[in-house]
Amino acid sequence: MTNEADATPVSGQVQPPARTSLRGLIAQTEIDLRLFGMLVALGAILLTFNILSEGKLFQPTNMVTLAVQATGVAIIATGMVLVIVSRNIDLSVGSLVGVIAMTYALLMTDWMPALGIGADFPFRWAIALGLGIGLGALVGGLQGYIIAYVGVPSFIVTLGGLLSIRGVVWYLSSGAAVSGLDPSFQLIGGGAQGSIGGAATWILGLVGCAAIVALLVNGRRQRRRFGFPVRPMWAEAVIGVLGCVAVLGVAAFANANLWPEGLANRIAVEQNWGPAPDGGWKIPTGFPNPIVLLIGVTLVMTWMANRRRFGRYVYAYGGNPDAAELAGINTRWTILKTYVLMGILCALAAAIASARLNGSTLDVGQSYELYVIAAAVVGGTSFAGGIGTIPGAVLGAFVMQSLAYGLSFIGVNSPGQNVVAGIVLIVAVGFDTFNRRRGS
Amino acid sequence: MILRRAAVLGAAAAMVLAACGTGTTPAPSGATAGCTVGVSWNNFQQPRWAAHDEPNLKKTVEDGGGKYISADANLSAEQQLTDVDTLISQGAKVLILLAQDNKAILPALQKAKDAGVPVIAYDRLIEDASILYITFDNVLVGKAEAEAVLAKVPTGNYVLIKGDPGDPNASTFLPQGWDEAGLKAKVDAGDITILNGPDGTFTDAWKTEKAQQNMEAIIDKAVADGNTIDAILAENDSTALGVVGALTAKNYGFPPLSGQDGDPANLNNVALGKQYVDVFKNANELGKTAGAAALELCKGTAMASLTLPSGLIDASVAPVAGLSAKPFTTPDGTSVQSFILQPTPLTAENLQVAIDAGQITKEDLCKGVDPATGPAACK
Repeated sequence: MTNEADATPVSGQVQPPARTSLRGLIAQTEIDLRLFGMLVALGAILLTFNILSEGKLFQPTNMVTLAVQATGVAIIATGMVLVIVSRNIDLSVGSLVGVIAMTYALLMTDWMPALGIGADFPFRWAIALGLGIGLGALVGGLQGYIIAYVGVPSFIVTLGGLLSIRGVVWYLSSGAAVSGLDPSFQLIGGGAQGSIGGAATWILGLVGCAAIVALLVNGRRQRRRFGFPVRPMWAEAVIGVLGCVAVLGVAAFANANLWPEGLANRIAVEQNWGPAPDGGWKIPTGFPNPIVLLIGVTLVMTWMANRRRFGRYVYAYGGNPDAAELAGINTRWTILKTYVLMGILCALAAAIASARLNGSTLDVGQSYELYVIAAAVVGGTSFAGGIGTIPGAVLGAFVMQSLAYGLSFIGVNSPGQNVVAGIVLIVAVGFDTFNRRRGS
Repeated sequence: MILRRAAVLGAAAAMVLAACGTGTTPAPSGATAGCTVGVSWNNFQQPRWAAHDEPNLKKTVEDGGGKYISADANLSAEQQLTDVDTLISQGAKVLILLAQDNKAILPALQKAKDAGVPVIAYDRLIEDASILYITFDNVLVGKAEAEAVLAKVPTGNYVLIKGDPGDPNASTFLPQGWDEAGLKAKVDAGDITILNGPDGTFTDAWKTEKAQQNMEAIIDKAVADGNTIDAILAENDSTALGVVGALTAKNYGFPPLSGQDGDPANLNNVALGKQYVDVFKNANELGKTAGAAALELCKGTAMASLTLPSGLIDASVAPVAGLSAKPFTTPDGTSVQSFILQPTPLTAENLQVAIDAGQITKEDLCKGVDPATGPAACK
């Protein structure tokens, strides 16, 4: 099956033009110009705020904060791409995040102790996480079933979900905030101790670099084998070098973020590290756990979307539902699965949100659906169906969050942040629509 | 259909009877026997009313020989109008209204007036000169927050975390209280610098997550600028919870932080030393005040000459203006009689008050607190 998927021509793999203009050279590298453009836009936004804040924004700790703040929305956006690609929508994600976050909090504070699973029980965090993921899959699956098999429009089903699931959050806690999660669960949310550390970050960077090279080599060999045109050697080299520099650069940047001194000193005393070196402890935090989780989710989701039968079915259905049906694709089952996936992703986002808060409140996850849809759409997902990429949606989430964080950093209040976010959403999609029309 | 018509007829008959009753029997002067107090709750599902307000209100009324009847409008302004009708027809001599909507309640108020029933606006204002307004002072809440934190940190760098920009409590009353406690004077004198702009940072819909994200950006900015955050004024508990989340994520330590509402999670943070003060509105005392005032009104006492029995409510929450009803000017400029109770600032020193008031169990308050080093209430 994978071979067949590979053999399917993907847009962009046209015969490279032989011209030697800049456009021609870029076309020969086959870089996704859309994604590249978004990266440039993200850079421009950050640069603008860096100037506005007199050069104070570009610091590892600030960038780490921004990235961690974006993870929840980015993780769900990877699934929202598939939902929107298959011509549906999911408005219930915010409420689902809320109910799962509250479940995590209540599991660890009330329910598990009541069942005799006390605070010192091993792997409580994993039990809670597993139950949360199960709950997400169940609720997502139920909504997906009603949409796919009963045939109620997804807008209605998930709008109902948005309202009723948020109501359930209230009943779970009687409206009160619940706090006091397990310390090990809190590590999911990041922070100095919830990061993978300097060495692991370097290893992750090197693995990423090796993976890029391996993918390039493998891609070239496959193309040869099936008689597709290959990229010029210089283009392969440029992509490989740029990719590696970017991955290792990000790793180095994350490692420049150090443990706060007070925390380092406290842990040093607790764990008998001996006297502090001159200038104090300098412990790199590296990537925080939520970022690692996001990287993992993005890779798995991209692989599912591009390499697995399920993903290809989703795009086929989105491109032309009737044709997909006639081609023998079990479209209902496919649609149901996209909602199960959404539920699981919501459970992961809820874990990050509740871990960061060390608890949950009535309003956790509120209006996530709007941010998530905005991220997917800014990232190039089309409401007409069939079009959208997962890395694009993740980038979209980062674009939206960098605006919110940057404005907050320079002291613009939330009404102002909302004004800017709304305008950017419209401009981004407008620009994209304009480009596509011109291209076609 | 027939059943429904019968019910309507029955209700109408009851109303006629009730009207006859009030018309012919003169109110027993000086006695509260037979005084029926009708309470219309707007939403009894919110745990506070059932847990604190109602039991105290009911007990005060019944201890005084009165009868307590009530109805729950379940968040519907329309239902509340019907409820008020029913309460009057059931013979209520005094009405206590927790209005779902302070405008939509006006027809009900008119009905009460027509029936000669005095109305107490409970916790939420009704804009009408005829009512008695019983509530906590929201400006005083802000004042209590700032007083506590200013006493702890008289000079230094402050961060202001406000609530929803559309809520007058967030944009006007609470900051007014902060300024009355001396915040503005200290800023003008240069003793206090506000790190996040002159107006602080608003939080959409008082959302905890939003407050956390904003606070993280403020901490990053302060660190980048080389500033230390010495104290944080957060307007309420949901935003204070977000601030604690941000401080934890950043390993910043816990500078003195304010909040209000007495939410269990925040009281636990006070016990843990993560939040310095939580201003608490003791709803038990509000219920007692309304019960006592209703009994007095039953006797035919004019609103302007109402006095609460001494010793009924705790001295720490008693109105600053004393135990007699005082005129209060509403935002629309109407003058009404009122009892405005004082909020209680809770710090690690007096957390026992929250346990005694039934706001939180000792177990919840002291979760994760080391009894040896924790506050007195956790020993």
